Amino acid sequence: MIRYAGALLLSLWILLLPSVSGAVLYIDINAPGGKRMPIALPDFVVTGGDASLGRDIPETIAGDLAMTSLFDVIARAAYLERIVPGHFEGRPVSFPDWKMIGAEAVVIGKVEVRGETMTAEMRLYDATLGNLMAGKKYTGSVRGYRKVAHKFANEVLFAFTGIRGIFDTEIAFSARPGKGKGKEIYLIGLDGRELRPVTDNRSFNLFPRWSPDGERLAYTSYRTGVPQIYLRNLADGKDRIVAQHGNSKSPGSFSPSGDSLYVTLSVEGNSDIYRAMLNGPGLQRVVGGWGIEVSPSVSPDGKSVAFVSNRAGSPQIYVKDFGSSDERRVSRAGGYSTSPSWSPAGDRIAFTSLSEGRYSIFTVRPDGSDQRLVVSANGDCVDPSFSPDGRYLVYTFQKNGYSELKITSVDGRWQKVLFKGLSGVGSPSWSPRH
Amino acid sequence: MKGVPGKKWMLGGLSVVLVFAMGCAKKELVKSTGTGPEAGVSAPSSTETPAGKPGEIVTETLKPEEAGKQMAMAGIAATQEKPSPFEDIHFDFDKSFIREDAKPALQKVADYLKKNTGASMVIEGHCDERGTSEYNMALGERRAESAKSYLVSLGVKTGGLSTVSFGEEKPVDPGQNEGAWGKNRRAHFVLR
Repeated sequence: MIRYAGALLLSLWILLLPSVSGAVLYIDINAPGGKRMPIALPDFVVTGGDASLGRDIPETIAGDLAMTSLFDVIARAAYLERIVPGHFEGRPVSFPDWKMIGAEAVVIGKVEVRGETMTAEMRLYDATLGNLMAGKKYTGSVRGYRKVAHKFANEVLFAFTGIRGIFDTEIAFSARPGKGKGKEIYLIGLDGRELRPVTDNRSFNLFPRWSPDGERLAYTSYRTGVPQIYLRNLADGKDRIVAQHGNSKSPGSFSPSGDSLYVTLSVEGNSDIYRAMLNGPGLQRVVGGWGIEVSPSVSPDGKSVAFVSNRAGSPQIYVKDFGSSDERRVSRAGGYSTSPSWSPAGDRIAFTSLSEGRYSIFTVRPDGSDQRLVVSANGDCVDPSFSPDGRYLVYTFQKNGYSELKITSVDGRWQKVLFKGLSGVGSPSWSPRH
Repeated sequence: MKGVPGKKWMLGGLSVVLVFAMGCAKKELVKSTGTGPEAGVSAPSSTETPAGKPGEIVTETLKPEEAGKQMAMAGIAATQEKPSPFEDIHFDFDKSFIREDAKPALQKVADYLKKNTGASMVIEGHCDERGTSEYNMALGERRAESAKSYLVSLGVKTGGLSTVSFGEEKPVDPGQNEGAWGKNRRAHFVLR
């Protein structure tokens, strides 16, 4: 983890190359069935190191762009021009050769490796106008090359759409390691690579939740034999205990400023929602009742909380506006609705609901209107968590004891498997942008 | 993750042995200073070495790393099914009320606890894997508490009873059918 944090610091200096064209939106992401942008990503030039970087970096960028359904990456076999060191010293790219194979845009790059360190220069050109749309130079560890590729993929997406990319975000989740019955917390990149453990204590480690700055994870662990909520500092690997009141405990979500954590605590069998201050001893009950109140998800403006309550006989999603005594039910589907996740824009709440004998993912407006089905499969789809751009949800797919993490677009038209290979995979939580 | 669990267990076992060994060493030290000047000032009871007195409790403060190891052992032990002299009781899906068929088993637990008033018991609440794990954590707590309340209604003192929820994390039957799920929706009674 600590070593990885080192790799995160790879953008020691990011140089914006001159003459980047003004902001023109090439792709309207809201146009349904819009034309995809054909883009070419020829092998990068590599000096002084492993030549495979020359393909791994553009392929990583290509994989990221493919996820958006906004780009068509042109197959390498069609490419007419090879990128050479001279292209970074004044030799012009032969844009007609790229236009000829249908490319509207070209990404070229050069990687200089010195020992463990690399400098990677990447440029995005409009193949029609021949102008530079984005240019960056990254310096960091060779090992962290995928992170650099994700950062430039974000630049490419931004140049075409004006949307800030999420390709360098991560997903935290819990799963059973190969042996033993416990569960550990893991992180994985959005491209399904770079799986790594956060905990390693062979007990139950559950329900990871990101702090708004992406530097801490709150989670429940039974490492001392009883459940406690821990706050892990990802940079130094240190944990501290939060909210020791009561029996079972689970973190729900941080306040937008990160100064407090909304948690579920069970006291004498009655589970309610509390706000635990992180810079002091404060603990305040915010939602109570005789029933089970669990799984708080705070709105991005910090003014409301979505939660689960079984006060009507079965678990349903409710919303409470702070400062008001009103708690309104927003889930209508099925007899069992749980695990709310508030969208980053604040306009929708995703949740799990039992419908026609299976658990599916729905979204609804915070006022309870406009409920929509996102994904329903031959199996159960549970525990949605919004991406920081609000365009995707990560969730757990379960069937007959098998489980995997999947990502879906919020309209449900596109899905991919993010991770499989461990048992008991669940509780995914999408990181903020880094 | 990569390590063989057996190896870690052995290490854990060793640490327990170490703690014991260190305890013995300390007692030896007390014995050998028995002829020192302080020994004469001690009250008569303390002239006998702790080790020689059956039933006496020797309290030692563990160093942080030893305490850490013991906690780690407790953390791993939490993932394993603990033996119980009592039958589990079972619950309906998404419910925590005590079913009629659970009452005889609870009566046996109550009879035991009323006879053995010094006994201390942890009531574990468990759920099947359906639904979401966070909600199940709260539901398991409610099941454990429901069993506890019933025992108290039968005349058991609350003092020796505690509860813990394991949500859906510790199924006794890994099966994927109502038969297995029914077994996994349970309260489990562990004597400490």
